[in-house]
Amino acid sequence: MIRCAVIAVVVALLLPAGAGAQDMSVSSVLIEGQGWQLIADGYKFTEGPAVDADGQVYFTDIPNNRIHKIGLDDKVTVFAESTAATNGLMFGPDGLLYGCRNGDKRIVTYDKDAKVQTIADDVNSNDLVVAGDGGVYFTDPPGGRVWYINQKREKRIVAEGLKPNGVILWPDQGTLVVTDGGEPVLWTFRVERDGALTNKDRYYGPLQVPAAGGGPGSDGMTVDAVGRLYVTTRAGLQMFDPTGRLGGTILKPHPGPLANVCFGGKDLSTLYVTAGDKVYKRRVQATGVRYARPK
Amino acid sequence: MMRALCDTLCRSRFLSSCLAAVVGAVLVAREARAVDDYPLGPDSKVQEGVPQGTVTKLSWTSEKVYPGTVRDYWIYVPKQYDGSQPANVMVFQDGGSYVKPDGDFLATVVFDNLIYKKEMPVTIGIFINPGVIPAAEAGQKPRQNRSFEYDSLGDQYARFLLEEILPEVGNQYKLTNEASGRAICGISSGGICAWTVAWERPDAFSKVLSHVGSFTNIRGGHAYHALIRKTERKPIRVFLQDGSGDLDNVHGSWPLANQEMAAALKFSKYDYRFEYGDGGHNGKHGGALMPESLRWLWRTAPAAASK
Repeated sequence: MIRCAVIAVVVALLLPAGAGAQDMSVSSVLIEGQGWQLIADGYKFTEGPAVDADGQVYFTDIPNNRIHKIGLDDKVTVFAESTAATNGLMFGPDGLLYGCRNGDKRIVTYDKDAKVQTIADDVNSNDLVVAGDGGVYFTDPPGGRVWYINQKREKRIVAEGLKPNGVILWPDQGTLVVTDGGEPVLWTFRVERDGALTNKDRYYGPLQVPAAGGGPGSDGMTVDAVGRLYVTTRAGLQMFDPTGRLGGTILKPHPGPLANVCFGGKDLSTLYVTAGDKVYKRRVQATGVRYARPK
Repeated sequence: MMRALCDTLCRSRFLSSCLAAVVGAVLVAREARAVDDYPLGPDSKVQEGVPQGTVTKLSWTSEKVYPGTVRDYWIYVPKQYDGSQPANVMVFQDGGSYVKPDGDFLATVVFDNLIYKKEMPVTIGIFINPGVIPAAEAGQKPRQNRSFEYDSLGDQYARFLLEEILPEVGNQYKLTNEASGRAICGISSGGICAWTVAWERPDAFSKVLSHVGSFTNIRGGHAYHALIRKTERKPIRVFLQDGSGDLDNVHGSWPLANQEMAAALKFSKYDYRFEYGDGGHNGKHGGALMPESLRWLWRTAPAAASK
């Protein structure tokens, strides 16, 4: 065994830089015999899965104006009512649930009693990501923009000229990724110290598209601890390695839409997807990420 | 069952001597040459009396085609270059691997030897590493741009060479603008990148050298063999090397992909050569073939499409 390890190390040292063609396949993430499991059903359109500090997953039913909570026992309860079509959700390092409350054009936080506080207003929004330092990026599809709200709750536009939908940070928060459902790629930006986004490029791609035509319909995203990225699309849940190469597509749990994804559960090793009128989960060999606060 | 079979085999004198012969032959063959054993020849070694070119290490920050990326690159200038005539150019992806003196390829040593013997023209080598987007903060990882630059189909990398690197090197050295005097080489993803550059801009690059090229579905490169068959032949001369022990993973089978490429190049009557050995995903076979592949690429016979 030790000899094998030594040989492996020696081989690794001998390989030229060109040996980066090794793969990170979807089969190494899936668990044989563990498929999607239906958790909740009977909603109008589910979105915004977000995991809290305990591993419970919250999701929104946009047309019904409710946010629900899935307990660790898989029991679903109502967390908030009259949510004004709240869409994308994520918990921040402060334990608050951040939401894209697009019905009244606000970005808000919900505390544990679902009490609402506004952190930005007069904006369109679809999805958001909350960084470890409390900064918030959110997408504005009608405006073709990405906004940044800093810790002082000042908002500004940090990217323009794209049709953004989902948004996520890498585990180390140095790169921001944005989906654009009509493009066969995902956009990446370098995150500057002041929250600015630079070096826009088509880093992830090409995405799988349905053979019948149209764009990939890429929507929500999540990342795992080793830097793999998962994006919901019409073709399924597509998984990319940290160098931007498609590692494979996880089948959709049903023929309908697949809108968003997050890791949940006590150990953050269960994928949750919002899928039309339903929510599904699935155990995988990967662990999600909570963005670290700056030291 | 197995025991009965053994007994039967062992009882048969004829069969056992056959078995011994086969085992013996395999052992002899093994002693003679192990799998993926490709020693370097004299043209890959420094030879006494052969003038050595200079190698200069530089770095490049892209502002146009891959904005924000930084990378190292090296310029090799043969002793025979005097600036009176435009030199030919050969670009290498993963340049650090090709230029380093303890690597598989020793490209500059081969250049020295072949240029001295007039087996290839006076050629300036540009050895370029893939780009990296440095992290903004401590504790963050730089973003590795290699797969994006090398595996993506399209003309972005060709534009990077034509709009950034070649003009920069051209400021210092007189370089040819003729496609016939420009070659490009790479290993793995750098190999398909070399092909992509010539495929996109055959007016700018006419010679391709690919080592264990990733003509697989990393980012759609498995389409090339089909495209080659259904597109009017382009004026590209290409040398492909691969081995039966190459990768077989989620992106595809490298041995099959390279065989598909060779078959398509043959079908469309390209000026191509395919060396298929028993090596793995490394530079050993390609390194051993370096002198021969450069002689073949730079031979004076015209490229296929201009015949």
